[in-house]
Amino acid sequence: MSKVVVIRLAEKPDVSGLSEEQYRTLLYHGLSALSDGKPSRQVLSDLMPRGVVGMKTNCLTGRFNSTPTVLIDALTHLLIEAGIKENNIVIWERSNRELTKAGFALNASSFGRRCLGTDTNGVGYSREFYSCGEVNSLVSKVLTDLVDHNINVPILKDHSIAGLSGGIKNMFGAIHNPNKYHLTNCDPYAAQVINLEPLRTKQRLTVMDAVRVQYHGGPGFNPKHVVMYGGIVISADPVAADSIGLKIIEQYRAQNDLPALWQDHRPVKYLQTAAKLGLGIADESRIDLRTIHVDSNGSSKPGELFP
Amino acid sequence: MNRRLFLQCLGCGATATVLTQTDLLPSALGGIQNACAFDYTKTLSEVEARYYIKRDEGGIECRLCPRHCRATDLERGYCGVRENRGDVYYTLVYGLPCSVNIDPIEKKPLFHFHPGTAAFSLATAGCNANCKFCQNWEISQTRPEQTDNIELPPQNIVDICRSRRVPTIAYTYSEPIIFYEYMYDTAELGHKHDVKSVMITGGYIEPEPLGVLLKTLDAVKVDLKAIREQYYRDIVSAELKPVLDGLVQIKKAGVWLEIVYLVVPTLNDSEQEFVDLARWIKANLGVDTPVHFSRFHPQYLLKNLPPTPLTTLETAWKICKAEGLHYVYLGNVPGHEAESTWCPHCGNAVIARRGYQILQNNLHGNTCKQCGQIIPGVFQ
Repeated sequence: MSKVVVIRLAEKPDVSGLSEEQYRTLLYHGLSALSDGKPSRQVLSDLMPRGVVGMKTNCLTGRFNSTPTVLIDALTHLLIEAGIKENNIVIWERSNRELTKAGFALNASSFGRRCLGTDTNGVGYSREFYSCGEVNSLVSKVLTDLVDHNINVPILKDHSIAGLSGGIKNMFGAIHNPNKYHLTNCDPYAAQVINLEPLRTKQRLTVMDAVRVQYHGGPGFNPKHVVMYGGIVISADPVAADSIGLKIIEQYRAQNDLPALWQDHRPVKYLQTAAKLGLGIADESRIDLRTIHVDSNGSSKPGELFP
Repeated sequence: MNRRLFLQCLGCGATATVLTQTDLLPSALGGIQNACAFDYTKTLSEVEARYYIKRDEGGIECRLCPRHCRATDLERGYCGVRENRGDVYYTLVYGLPCSVNIDPIEKKPLFHFHPGTAAFSLATAGCNANCKFCQNWEISQTRPEQTDNIELPPQNIVDICRSRRVPTIAYTYSEPIIFYEYMYDTAELGHKHDVKSVMITGGYIEPEPLGVLLKTLDAVKVDLKAIREQYYRDIVSAELKPVLDGLVQIKKAGVWLEIVYLVVPTLNDSEQEFVDLARWIKANLGVDTPVHFSRFHPQYLLKNLPPTPLTTLETAWKICKAEGLHYVYLGNVPGHEAESTWCPHCGNAVIARRGYQILQNNLHGNTCKQCGQIIPGVFQ
């Protein structure tokens, strides 16, 4: 069994999204639920006992459809509470341009929280190739050299080729040649990418933003097909996290009279492929899903995944 | 681009200037990086691409190569250098080569095209295939953000060629099809100023853009990577048939054509494949089409294989000669007699070569000095 926590605001947020404080509240409750009641700082320090922690964002599409800066700020706060030094926290992405467009302030110095793209001077990609099946790629040196642990912080959205863009697809941003791996709905490539040695061994946690969910017309921002879901999906199992993300996407597609992704010629087969590679659980019957609602006073109780 | 600085650097012997990002450069290439030569830019171009359609359901479909990549907003095609921005497809590498050199034309290799002359050679990042043996993967298998690029618009290239008396521009190293717009505009401008253009390509392109492009080109060298569809699928990540169709189209258009076949041990080196290759060329392109068998060196994703044994290359050479091909060459084997052009009538060396160097040119115009046999090619 793999555990996935979906933690939502009891009341639907407005289109401006959540504040850092609201995210922090969701994370406190969500991480605690993931570990059957341990405090969040304990959960994080158990997962990442020492060293440098990376947070891989998804900033492809500018401010509206990227990892929110306030979510990263909230996670930073929790990591510092867990004993991680501020300069040992690295927000990272494919390029500085993408980070900047999404609202992040770059910092490659030895003071404060770092935030940098792989294209930062002196970073770049690994010299050697990492291989799995059809995938042969250089990997961002942020992951190979700079960080010891990685938290994947994607946003949940529809993808015109892959069907689903969640945590697994987000790691295309860690390799130098993602354009080579979009054939056949990214299967088996997406699964093989996260099975590359540094990606697989350094992955600790997925914290997927599902506050504003684009259930169709992604990966670019397409406001016509956005719903304010108001939650985040948390799991140590990247496959299980995405499987629940897919369930959320499919629910809103059905509600809006859109065909299921497989009927739309975009089956998300890479989840099964990832499960076969032993990277996690895709079978929902083997996922321990905990859905929690948090009210405006900050107290939590079990809730529903939908609406 | 600082043109004066560029010319100074070309003049001071900076013959090789692969400008790949340092992190991607193997040490063997590090020595030829020449930081003095260019002003680098990290800004990509935004020139609308040609040959794509807008899809009714949103997004675009590229029609430049047979992949027909579909891309929604902010997505790129397989080549990594063409991007959908608001359902307009853009080339990101127009005027932004990452590699610029002046090479002997023999290096392309083109042996029947103005032998002994120089070619201003350039490439951008990106490729529409993914050959596991790629010799230039540091630029072909990367995106333009990952290479160090210089601003070099078509007019500057033509100006440099004219002032340096370089007769030809070669679009080469990576896959010029993916920088189609840049290549086409440069070639067209070059023709207006008597500067020729040659394309060194894998030939994986749709017939319509190829047909238009051929009107601006003077010669094409196609890397025919195998004569088996499965090899194209497994090793090249492309398809054979469109390449064969393209070869016929180039021949019919009357543009000078030469073929290179990289012989990779155990993968495309059987005698039957050489027979099939020779027969296909004879039947579809004619016996006067030059074929170069090139020696493989372990690179990129095929480091587990040995270099091609000379005996295998010689077998390929013998089979093609026996099948009636007139101009069969061996590449990457300096000093071998099969580097030279031999008159199919009198058997004398028409052009004697060693590596890229012309040792003797026994052509009179386009005929053999010895016997008057016409040697096909573009010699005058």
